[in-house]
Amino acid sequence: MSVEPFNRLVKLAARAFYDDITTKGDNQPKTGRSDNRGIAVVVLDALTRRQWVKEEDLAKALKLHSKQLRRTLRFFEEEKLVTRDHRRETAKGAKIFSAAVAATVDGQPTTKEGEEKIKLHTHSYCCLDYAQIYDVVRYRLHRMKKKLKDELDNKNTVQEYICPNCGKRYTALDALRLVSMDDEYFHCESCNGELVAESDKLASQEGGDGDDNARRRRREKLKDMLQKMEVQLKPLIDQLSRVKDLPVPEFGTLQAWEVRASAAGRAANGDSSNDPSRSSHGLGYGGTTLPFVGDTKVEVDFSGAEGKGENIKSENESSSLKVLPPWMIKEGMNLTKEQRGEVKQESRMDDSSPAVEFSDDKKSTVENDDKKNIQDEYVKAYYAALIKKQQELDEAAKKQDELSNTHALNGISGMTSNRQVGMKSKRDEDDGDDDVEWEEAPVAGNANENYKVDLNVQVDASGEDEDDIDWEEG
Amino acid sequence: MFFHIVLERNMQLHPRHFGRNLRENLVSKLMKDVEGTCSGRHGFVVAITGIENIGKGLIRDGTGFVTFPVKYQCVVFRPFKGEILEAVVTMVNKMGFFAEAGPVQIFVSNHLIPDDMEFQIGDMPNYTTSDGSVKIQKDSEVRLKIIGTRVDATEIFCIGTIKDDFLGVINDPSAG
Repeated sequence: MSVEPFNRLVKLAARAFYDDITTKGDNQPKTGRSDNRGIAVVVLDALTRRQWVKEEDLAKALKLHSKQLRRTLRFFEEEKLVTRDHRRETAKGAKIFSAAVAATVDGQPTTKEGEEKIKLHTHSYCCLDYAQIYDVVRYRLHRMKKKLKDELDNKNTVQEYICPNCGKRYTALDALRLVSMDDEYFHCESCNGELVAESDKLASQEGGDGDDNARRRRREKLKDMLQKMEVQLKPLIDQLSRVKDLPVPEFGTLQAWEVRASAAGRAANGDSSNDPSRSSHGLGYGGTTLPFVGDTKVEVDFSGAEGKGENIKSENESSSLKVLPPWMIKEGMNLTKEQRGEVKQESRMDDSSPAVEFSDDKKSTVENDDKKNIQDEYVKAYYAALIKKQQELDEAAKKQDELSNTHALNGISGMTSNRQVGMKSKRDEDDGDDDVEWEEAPVAGNANENYKVDLNVQVDASGEDEDDIDWEEG
Repeated sequence: MFFHIVLERNMQLHPRHFGRNLRENLVSKLMKDVEGTCSGRHGFVVAITGIENIGKGLIRDGTGFVTFPVKYQCVVFRPFKGEILEAVVTMVNKMGFFAEAGPVQIFVSNHLIPDDMEFQIGDMPNYTTSDGSVKIQKDSEVRLKIIGTRVDATEIFCIGTIKDDFLGVINDPSAG
């Protein structure tokens, strides 16, 4: 139930397929010094220990030249093992990333904040794409096996011919066009070169010059190869089957990951003391991607609308990319990376269910059960928070009488901390996401004054709800 | 595989054929036009066996030609993957051999020839077993299995194999 089996898969695949990959061009002489085979394995291994990572940082950590690393990564991108993201960013953008890194990856050399210049630089990030890796490896194995098997009992294979000069490929179906009157060979249509049968190349590389025993030898060789392949790739195949039913760790796009990671990091590290209200406000923003902000950062994030827009955009792209609701991780502050990734995934699944309900007003029973649990938990926490607050609110109520509704809210915000207000509105926003009857429960169980306050906030929340709907439709 | 089907075609007839044996002229022209052609959809038209119906002629403006929609029955031959055919070898070379089954050209590449047959170069290139008992050369008759077809709009080409049970030479001209 973690990323570990997948990492093992990556490592096995790296050693099986990319062990002797050299990123040098074939024309360059391979001296002992410039031979960089094995780099691929090292890079892949390093990536298994990271999530999204800036390529410069990775290069530094691996003590590789960034050009060399980039070449390797490009190769892996072509091989569909790695997703990359490039963006021009200022120091600020880079800081978001480094904050995210700091939040998720412990024991990881993070970027020093001082490094970032104000200039716009194109930074590249890379990350393993586990879902795709799984498919790619399976496909590769399948192709290997199919090719060997086909050739072994070469019954239903259509012979392919290849032009050694221009590399053009033909099948036996083209034979009529290729045959020439002059000699008995096939000739390339474009360059008139002599075509060679492709399968002959595969097995008779070592001098078996075509005719006599070549075919028999080839057959034996193929059989041997197939057996060897099965033996040698057994660990990989086993790992594939082990991984088959596990949920694939998914980091999402770079932006989504950053948002999630930094939110999770803040929740996990606990930027303030664990006052009891924390639990309730933690619950508050389960359904949204609004990064929860600490006391000091309130203004920054709300004014920085472009960050918010980014989140929304990324969510529109794929509804599964949502902020990790902190109730999932609040208990164990020192969760491991994998667990957190796991939690993230689950939470995302949970997230999606209310969102779906919200949009089409249907409820499956399973979702309901899930939701009940969450709601129960939520209600408990909510009550605890309310009792705490009631005392504060009693005092606040006196002033409230004099002030208008909106002012009352501000009054409270003035009295209590900023964070509580933020938390409260967010919690009610969550109410909006969930169903209505449940929303009334705390209201019924509370004193009048609380009720009043709730009303105020609800108005606030409903406004936000509409906003939500707006951009979900758009 | 052979099929007996009904096809339709618009025939244009020159005014000089108008007269009492207009029908005969139309049918003979149809045969000349259609027999031996190949359409990717139906295969080779082997023979016209009958006329179903000749529709009303339409005189074309300017030319005086008349267009008749003609429905005719015909035998078509369409090769399929997996089908067993008997064919005559037309050419043997290092890459394999070509054979013809009626209008269809079939190529059998050398890796679909049994492993115990080897290519012998000479003025009569052939594939021969090591004991010389079986020989494939030009004009040999072979039974083969089609493993792939390439169907273009006006052309069908097949590749076949003789590497299976009961496939191979069925009548050796040199022996007989």
